[in-house]
Amino acid sequence: MKPTTPHHRQDRPHPGPDPLTRRAATALTLAVLFAVTALVHAGEPKSRTDPDRSRAKRTVDFNRDVRPVLAKNCYACHGRDEARREKKLRLDVREAATRPLEDDNAAIVPGDPDSSELIERITTDDVSLRMPPRKTGHRLTPAEVHTPKTRIQQGARYAQHWALIPPAAGSLPAVRDGSWPRNGIDRWVLARLEDEGLPPSLEADRYTLLRRVSLDLRGLPPSPAEVDRFVKDTQPGAYERAVDQFLDDPAYGERWARMWLDLARYADSAGYGSDPLRPDIWPYRDWVIAAFNGNLPYDRFTLLQIAGDLTEHPTLDDRIATAFHRNTMTNTEGGTDDEEFRVAAIKDRVDTTMQVWMGLTAGCAKCHSHKFDPITQEEYYRLYAIFNQTADADRGDESPTVPFPLPAIAKKNREIDVKITALRSHLSKTTPAAEAAKIKAQVAGLEKSRPKPPNVPVMQELPPSGRRKTHLLRKGNFLDPGQTVEPGVPAALHPLPSDKAADRMALARWLVDPANPLTGRVAVNRYWAQLFGVGLVETEEDFGTQGEPPSHPELLDWLAVHYRESGWDTKALIRLIVTSATYRQSSRVRPELMQKDPRNRLLARAPRIRLEAEMVRDQALALSGLLSHKVGGPSVFPPQPDGLWQAAFNGQRTWSTSPGEDRYRRGLYVFWRRTVPYPSMAAFDAPSREICAIRRVRTNTPLQSFVTMNDPVYVEAAQALARRIVREGGADATARVRYALGLCQCRLPRPEQIKPLVALYSAELDRYRKDRAAAVALATEPIGPAPAGVDPAELAAWTAVANVLLNLDSVLSRG
Amino acid sequence: MASHRNSDLNQDLDLPLHLQQARAQTRRQFLRRSQAGLGSISLAMLLDGDGRGRSGARGADPGAGPIRSADNPLTPRAPHFAPRAKRVIYLHMSGGPPQQELLDAKPALVKHHMQPCPDELLKGQKFAFIKGHPKLLGSPYKFERWGASGAELSELLPHLRGVADELAIVRSMWTDQFNHAPAELFLFTGSPRNGGAAMGSWITYGLGSENQNLPGFVVLISGGTDPTGGKALWSTGYLPSVYQGVQCRSVGDPVLYVGNPKGMDRTDRRRTLDALRRLNEIELSEFGDPETLTRISQYELAFRMQMAVPDVMDIRQEPAAIIDEYGATPGGSSFANNCLLARRLVERGVRYVQLFDWGWDCHGTGAGDDIVKHLPAKCREVDRPIAALVGDLKRRGMLDDTLVIWGGEFGRTSMNEARGGSRFLGRDHHPHCFSIWMAGGGIKPGITVGATDELGYHIVDNPISIHDLQATILHLLGLDAWKLTYPYQGLDQKLIGPEGAARIRKELLT
Repeated sequence: MKPTTPHHRQDRPHPGPDPLTRRAATALTLAVLFAVTALVHAGEPKSRTDPDRSRAKRTVDFNRDVRPVLAKNCYACHGRDEARREKKLRLDVREAATRPLEDDNAAIVPGDPDSSELIERITTDDVSLRMPPRKTGHRLTPAEVHTPKTRIQQGARYAQHWALIPPAAGSLPAVRDGSWPRNGIDRWVLARLEDEGLPPSLEADRYTLLRRVSLDLRGLPPSPAEVDRFVKDTQPGAYERAVDQFLDDPAYGERWARMWLDLARYADSAGYGSDPLRPDIWPYRDWVIAAFNGNLPYDRFTLLQIAGDLTEHPTLDDRIATAFHRNTMTNTEGGTDDEEFRVAAIKDRVDTTMQVWMGLTAGCAKCHSHKFDPITQEEYYRLYAIFNQTADADRGDESPTVPFPLPAIAKKNREIDVKITALRSHLSKTTPAAEAAKIKAQVAGLEKSRPKPPNVPVMQELPPSGRRKTHLLRKGNFLDPGQTVEPGVPAALHPLPSDKAADRMALARWLVDPANPLTGRVAVNRYWAQLFGVGLVETEEDFGTQGEPPSHPELLDWLAVHYRESGWDTKALIRLIVTSATYRQSSRVRPELMQKDPRNRLLARAPRIRLEAEMVRDQALALSGLLSHKVGGPSVFPPQPDGLWQAAFNGQRTWSTSPGEDRYRRGLYVFWRRTVPYPSMAAFDAPSREICAIRRVRTNTPLQSFVTMNDPVYVEAAQALARRIVREGGADATARVRYALGLCQCRLPRPEQIKPLVALYSAELDRYRKDRAAAVALATEPIGPAPAGVDPAELAAWTAVANVLLNLDSVLSRG
Repeated sequence: MASHRNSDLNQDLDLPLHLQQARAQTRRQFLRRSQAGLGSISLAMLLDGDGRGRSGARGADPGAGPIRSADNPLTPRAPHFAPRAKRVIYLHMSGGPPQQELLDAKPALVKHHMQPCPDELLKGQKFAFIKGHPKLLGSPYKFERWGASGAELSELLPHLRGVADELAIVRSMWTDQFNHAPAELFLFTGSPRNGGAAMGSWITYGLGSENQNLPGFVVLISGGTDPTGGKALWSTGYLPSVYQGVQCRSVGDPVLYVGNPKGMDRTDRRRTLDALRRLNEIELSEFGDPETLTRISQYELAFRMQMAVPDVMDIRQEPAAIIDEYGATPGGSSFANNCLLARRLVERGVRYVQLFDWGWDCHGTGAGDDIVKHLPAKCREVDRPIAALVGDLKRRGMLDDTLVIWGGEFGRTSMNEARGGSRFLGRDHHPHCFSIWMAGGGIKPGITVGATDELGYHIVDNPISIHDLQATILHLLGLDAWKLTYPYQGLDQKLIGPEGAARIRKELLT
């Protein structure tokens, strides 16, 4: 859905009551909206200081206005896919579109819309002639007709799709309110807001700001001590110091690894039918955490994951990084053809690489040339050929793997070594045969008891003698190979480095090549989306012609160039964004903003965002004091209902709940089985990770309410929180409620918030004093016996209050 | 049955007056915002995906429409055109039941029992397990014609004979997948790979649901094992997660976490929700975020679901005669219970009920999966409840607009599998033909459609593809399979796949 911007409503060409026209108006409004800040390229510069330019007469921009109309309505049959092309007419290339047709005028006659067959065909009343054909269900709106018509009138120039033109950092725009911007981001945002006549919002209060940036950077709320320190720090730079502290917290790496693991489709199982466990791949997850905490530059981060094994002297870590592409699924179902699923995994690697780094949906090109974006079927298989040379082949044992030495295992092995040496010392030529045999048996037993390290699936290139020949697969069918193809990249993009073999290493270098128009944009857009709830390009997964255009194109490019030129310094990028005035605004929805920019695309306020699945869990554990801060290690099994794991055939069915602190680890360590995702995560929109998930949707459902009200994990958190309230909250109910609200919302409670909770506490206390069994149950199951000297009825009543606190909108959202 | 108009009203009436007012005031903003979705999914955004907006079916002024509130994407919506069916019960026999034993009589196969399979049938064929040169396997079961329509049914399905005249038997289904998981994914998500959206999700996305106190898409599982395709078969895929199939269980919470913590009863829950609502209202007035209002209503909906879900799942409420007719066992867990639950669910307005029953993969590797001992046992489990379901719906006047489908993900070979020299009789996976039946909801009763060759190897008449079946199901529900779309990864995704090769099979329709 396009944003409606009432500010521009006067620009509607055909206001009218019918929905078609209404939509047309919306479409045009959009066009106008984007016209205002059109990307300064393609020879259409405009003055940044013209206060009236939003009403200035505009020319139709091909990328912004025309291509979307043609792409949506025409390219499926008149685009680059030769196999599907109708009447040999191609509209996506100017030369083809302006060539005279057999019996008619050219589809496009530059400068003369009336002679252009295209205009005739999209406007005619003759249903049998009108395009798009009736059966498609599409019909051009008046505005959609108007746009190409104007462009043809103006000479029918084509332009390259915006995202394929390398970004350039334009000079920062002038703004009227010079006091507001804190950095370059704010100049772009404010210039746009001033155009629209919208003032930015005030800075959020300190409490809100600290909670926001703590959740955004670490995925955890600030502790009461951190809040206290921050609000008392009146020296300049207090906020920046807090930001730096959070960036240095190991929790930072965990939070951002979570984001990356969706892209890497990381899971602890192999997928498909019985979805066998893949318990040895977690060292890859820990590699990602360490990479974020160590601020590994994004180019290196890229290179190691795509081709760490092909570096000159790969370390164990470099090889583990390549497990990125071993997160593909393996099919162990009886009777399946391993080659079929090896091929599926290679395709997944192509699709995932293009999506994650370049925001391109290459997937369609595996069966036919991409209808909209510049990837032909052959080019798809050229990319495929690059990935088609690894040794893995959908094997049940996941080979090739590398052993991952764990300190605990090394220690155990050393102990075994000592025991064996001791036993052997008893052996000599004189040892009686019976005793010698006994000792040998003991040694053998000890050898057998050596713990096995995790064997991490990794990428490993085939030896030159065993390399595969790559064929184009007709309709993507592995049993129907076509012509052979050589490794390479799509012709519309910059070439691979020419001095080296066209292998994964070359592809990795190509991805982070300064000439790559997409990698930087896609990366900064992703961080933006994480911090603002929606990307500058809303369709994070699609920067192609079918995706949404950026809301702030110059800002996107400025950030992309800035990121690359900083040496792909991710922490610096995040710091830049969160220290901007734009980020620091209040999230209060001013009525005028609801009117003028309900989607907040102009960023006149900060967004209010429901926390993501892992944060909902982590925060509940943190507030209750249960959270374990242990970083890394094998995945854990916090409580989940019985009977969920009933996969077919020989699938693992036992979920053994972790003991001790592993019950309370952060969400990203929860064992992730693709076909049976941890239910509370799934309820809060975590993907299955069967395939790469670029963007999580955010829903708001009653099933989420059930999780935070009744899931034993959250009940336990409420019980622990109740105990904390009693322990730390002061003497009387009002003081405790005030403390609890402050703790959970990380801000001073409003007076009217206190009363309903005190009333709830009193009512529940009465009720539980009359029903001791119920009180004991609510206060202690599953957390365990109440502390000595505490009345179970009191604890139960506080548990009910804590249960409310963990369900507050202000707690589940970050404002 | 619950009227959606009522449930909408109830939703509002459940709120205190000041909140109703707040709601009325913000509704306009809501809907405006919902065209946008603050990064969150909201209704109009979803609507935009299905292409209906483009044809102008959607209201012109978002603020002036009925209370199709943005905060509830499951509110019923009008189909593309007048529907024949309003709801679906899909009975899936996971593993692939042998058509030769049940719905597709093959006397010639019996005649050539244990003779080598003709060479020409094997040329270029790939099997999951059969090795070497297999022998033909005639069915040991007798077929007879039943009812006025003369439907030919196996002796393994004695109860189904009683409703033979309601059925449209299709003997010419085919698929291109011959392993369980991809074949089930293909059947239920339109693609043999993980990541797609389930048919039930598509349908609730297209139509919403008639009862706002229950999930719109419910999944019931029997046989002790998930279907091979796993939970991906009721996954919402790229569609918003509100359209996810919700598994209702006979053991433990009927819906995960629907039950209050031990020691907290319904009065306690109400009191906590009152306090929660009060605090959330304060938050709403302070920050003005419509999402807060949505959250308030979702907690109220959760409270109502806490009543409605255990209630609908309690089959003890049924008269003894009904329980007996289905062969259900209150307190237990069985396919029969699930059939009865399916009726209770659709009766209350649930849009799509999906049953999975495990145990139909009759390879003949042992007594546990052969066609002599195991198959009759499976048939005894399902035959009676299925017939009871069709009969019960008919008696209640619901069969007319309830579509019932029974089938597997593929067929089974005409040859004996004899894996590793097994002496048990069984059949391997066979994608080229299989049989299903459909009933009610605009399906022509008492017909048999399509035919296979005399050995039951290939279709010789009227092949019907998986996408044809899906397009036809959507058509019966008043949905245009080509217009029911959702934008994802640069494409308008559809259940029936990108190529649009599907056909609505009018020969199946009344």
